[in-house]
Amino acid sequence: MEHLGKEHILVRPEDYDKNFSTLNLGPTHPATHGIFQNILTMNGETIVDTEQTIGYIHRAFEKLAERRAFYQITTLTDRMNYCSSPINNVGWQTTVEKLLGVQTSKRIDYMRIIIMELARISDHLICNSVIGVDSGALTGFVYVFQEREKIYEIYEEICGARLTTNLGRIGGFERDFTPSVIKKIKEFIVNLPKVIKQFEKLLLRNRIFMDRTINVGGISAERALNYGFSGPCLRAAGVDYDVRVMSPYSSYNDFDFTIPVGTNGDTYDRFCVRQEEIWQSIKLVKNALENLPEGSYHMEVPEFYLPAKEEVYSKMESLIWHFKIVMGEVEVPVGEVYHSVEGGNGELGFYLVSDGGRTPYRLHFRRPCFIYYQAFPEMVKGSFLSDAILTMSSMNVIAGELDA
Amino acid sequence: MEQQLIQDSLQKKFQNELILFDETSDILTFTVRKQSIVEVIQFLKEVLGFQFLTDLCGIHYPEQELALGVVYHLHNFQTNTRIRVKTFTSIEKPQIDTLTNLFSSANWMERETFDFFGIDFVGHPNLIRILNVEYLDYFPMRKEYPLEDQTRKDKDDRFFGR
Repeated sequence: MEHLGKEHILVRPEDYDKNFSTLNLGPTHPATHGIFQNILTMNGETIVDTEQTIGYIHRAFEKLAERRAFYQITTLTDRMNYCSSPINNVGWQTTVEKLLGVQTSKRIDYMRIIIMELARISDHLICNSVIGVDSGALTGFVYVFQEREKIYEIYEEICGARLTTNLGRIGGFERDFTPSVIKKIKEFIVNLPKVIKQFEKLLLRNRIFMDRTINVGGISAERALNYGFSGPCLRAAGVDYDVRVMSPYSSYNDFDFTIPVGTNGDTYDRFCVRQEEIWQSIKLVKNALENLPEGSYHMEVPEFYLPAKEEVYSKMESLIWHFKIVMGEVEVPVGEVYHSVEGGNGELGFYLVSDGGRTPYRLHFRRPCFIYYQAFPEMVKGSFLSDAILTMSSMNVIAGELDA
Repeated sequence: MEQQLIQDSLQKKFQNELILFDETSDILTFTVRKQSIVEVIQFLKEVLGFQFLTDLCGIHYPEQELALGVVYHLHNFQTNTRIRVKTFTSIEKPQIDTLTNLFSSANWMERETFDFFGIDFVGHPNLIRILNVEYLDYFPMRKEYPLEDQTRKDKDDRFFGR
């Protein structure tokens, strides 16, 4: 294997006489918004080459998952894209349901859509306001952080946690939406448009912001596809690929919403695409809440859905199922599935191979930002350092998702 | 695109290289001999329109003769079809040709697979570890590397699955 481990040469011998300097951006740098490193070779203020080092918060989720029962893996998915953990949770649960052949009811699907779209709003709010911060506008960030707080309060009301939510179960939810959850979501949906409008007024047509972001960190549709882009970054480049439309899950096909598409694939387009997706998400939450059918909040899958604790203490059958699930006595079908959901950053895929054991035989997470972050050197080559930082924040690279 | 159509055109072009089609999977799945994996994926990309490499990952079946595998997921946006291609290699000489010339996205995904399974992607421009530390002397996702320290005597996990 003599060709392995070739050293990456940052300054090539023919460039030795030029006055290049090396700049370390990260691993802990305020502008990276996460733990990953960029070693930049600079010619004055211009970037010549970039070498990325990632893996600083690698936690071996794929290996851990091979020793955990299906219901225990939801907590691992929380910690991938921690800006929108409910999407990851639901993504994993729908993957298992696909393997088991469980068809969830419309009520569960709509509840999931509500919670996933709220998560998408919070993800996009953070990403877009951080683009503002990196271009020098801190105000917008502080404005929308209030709204993110409200979303986290809704999570808290539903599942008791704020960041690493472990929301929902295989086959549904652990508890129903209480009237106070519904009230909070309704209030949030009514108030959010005002804040978003204010935020857009601040940045969308702001001369300085536009000058800083238009034609910065652009990528063509062709290159973006080749690099495996997905989500807002791909749509900003002009490809209308959205998992919610292409392979609908959780009854997304019941709803009418638009997929915003950009043209240049630059930082400004990514900002605009995310901004428009927030509007679409508001619409989706509103529609799902209005049409929320009555019914149970979980399906009858006793082999996988942990019974309520009161019942475990008082009913024989529930106790048996509880024991069976926890001790791994339930039968799991043999098979392999690939299932993906539209995460905050793009196609979040789960490739699950089951050999009939209690735990997955192999579980692979397709983490969108791991795949598209490798295009970063190509996107920033020849641009200024300050533009590179904007490009990075507009790609919404989340260290947890990058490293898994 | 009809599954049958893809299957037929692949069989016509690569009669001897395809090993089997898996009918039971959720999407069209087939296994290819490792010598022709790049040709098959190039054919899928350029002729059948599977322009998007969704995912690339490794898998290890210790009891098989060809123990290490690579699983590719490809997506055709025009017809909205997904396809899964697998190829297997022996663990003694785990060499598979790289896809980096076809898909730039394969670069890191192959590095990740090398990092965790030790699959040597021949022709890869920069095949070094990506998530683990450079001095790691084993490939942690292989099945023989247990998750927990096997020298520990204070835990008995017999009843808790693997």
